[in-house]
Amino acid sequence: MSVGILPPLASIAAVRPVFLIVMGISLMVIAWRLASTSGRWTSRLLVAGALLLAFGYSILLPMYEGGMIRFFAPDKPLSLVSADTLAWHVVKVTVMNTGWLLFGLGVALHANLFGLSSPGSHPQTSPHPRPHDHLA
Amino acid sequence: MTTLLEIVIRNGSLFDAFGVIGLGLVAYAAIRLARREHSWGGHMMAAGAIAVLIARLYLVLAPHFVNDNMLHAIGPIGISLTIGLPPLMLTLGLAGVVWGLWGHERWLKTERNR
Repeated sequence: MSVGILPPLASIAAVRPVFLIVMGISLMVIAWRLASTSGRWTSRLLVAGALLLAFGYSILLPMYEGGMIRFFAPDKPLSLVSADTLAWHVVKVTVMNTGWLLFGLGVALHANLFGLSSPGSHPQTSPHPRPHDHLA
Repeated sequence: MTTLLEIVIRNGSLFDAFGVIGLGLVAYAAIRLARREHSWGGHMMAAGAIAVLIARLYLVLAPHFVNDNMLHAIGPIGISLTIGLPPLMLTLGLAGVVWGLWGHERWLKTERNR
């Protein structure tokens, strides 16, 4: 019986990618649900960040963990690194960091960290009246 | 190599800074939510975000200060900790953020329905 190629089930090596996939998808679904009750920019930033993080956590990182993409070694000369490794590294760096930045901005707007009131989260106290309110 | 790829590779620390700033914002916002609205999800999200932030900061900064002398000074247990702790904190921290976000969303829903 060969168990050398695939990690044995229920080992840390096998569970971690599954855990990352579940966490990535959960993050996207919960952020989507939270965004539906938030203001316009809050929901845009939350969903954009969560989508990027979900892609990173549920697709990219399990591919790295599963050995489908090789890790980028920064101390190696760039001419010796294969184009695939380099391209996936750039995708990973961009997706994960931009994802956390956008998600962080979304959560910060949701918590009203910058002192701006988001109009969509409190529709009954919206500071902008509808165009024909004064006619009523 | 195209110019765009080269910019991203050469400015890796700039992108790392984006991620660290984002995690800091998540942690700060979660603490604000937990203190202002007394939502337990906020506490959980803050703990998770701080764990991911510490591990991320360590991974970003480690190449600049970890050398043979330092590894010799901290001994085998210290070396094991530097290898084992960051992935553990990243994993548990992510779980904390997701669990906290779920808790906060549930809490918001019950508050609205009350």
